Amino acid sequence: MKENGAKKEFQIPSRMPEVQKASARVLSFLKPLRLNEGALFDVRLSLEEAVINAIKYGHCLDRGLRVRVVVAYDPKKITLTVEDQGEGFDPKKVEDCTKKYNLAKPSGRGVYLIHQLMDKVRYNAKGNRLEMVKFLKRRPYGN
Amino acid sequence: MEIKSYERDGVTVFQVSGEININTSPDLRKLFERQSAKKVVVDLQSVSYVDSSGLATLVEMLKRMKLQGGAFGLTGLSDKVKSLFEITKLDKLFPIFATQEDAVLRVK
Repeated sequence: MKENGAKKEFQIPSRMPEVQKASARVLSFLKPLRLNEGALFDVRLSLEEAVINAIKYGHCLDRGLRVRVVVAYDPKKITLTVEDQGEGFDPKKVEDCTKKYNLAKPSGRGVYLIHQLMDKVRYNAKGNRLEMVKFLKRRPYGN
Repeated sequence: MEIKSYERDGVTVFQVSGEININTSPDLRKLFERQSAKKVVVDLQSVSYVDSSGLATLVEMLKRMKLQGGAFGLTGLSDKVKSLFEITKLDKLFPIFATQEDAVLRVK
């Protein structure tokens, strides 16, 4: 790992095939951390869910709009930021997908998973920028 | 993602491999919509990654089977995929079995 960490920023078009390309770029950038499979899964899933939401809900699948992705790490944490050009949304309006009456609904699990898999999650006031933090631990992440 | 389907003791088994994600889950959904079996087991033993759209597709498959009066079971979940079912409490919704043999026995 570089002593003080590193940061990478890029933008992607609002197309679903770009989702996996974005996560591949992020995971490649995080390689020096030597994360274990569990941590890689959490980071990848959280990033992809955030990018999917940005494309689907933030941009309403408008291919002309671009999603901004920032990934940074330091000795203590990984920070992922996903920002869209949309109007933003109110995360308080997201229903709890684990309630009995929501269990059989086909959608609504992406944001919930992000909150469960990452250590800190916060939106900007407008609701179009999501910041997710994963703290690094000596074990079990093996970095 | 690849899907093989075959019969085992009167139960249709869908053996999925690869990833069930936002780009591949529509293929799984389409394949499932085309089949008419009443007893189905989906084996995820070779599935390395599932996102929320993959979970949504499996929920739709389960609901469709229930509506048709059929039986549905899941098996072969990796620890990480299983943890997604537990986190989202979908493990309360789906019949999940440790082995394909168990799943077929219970579904048939």
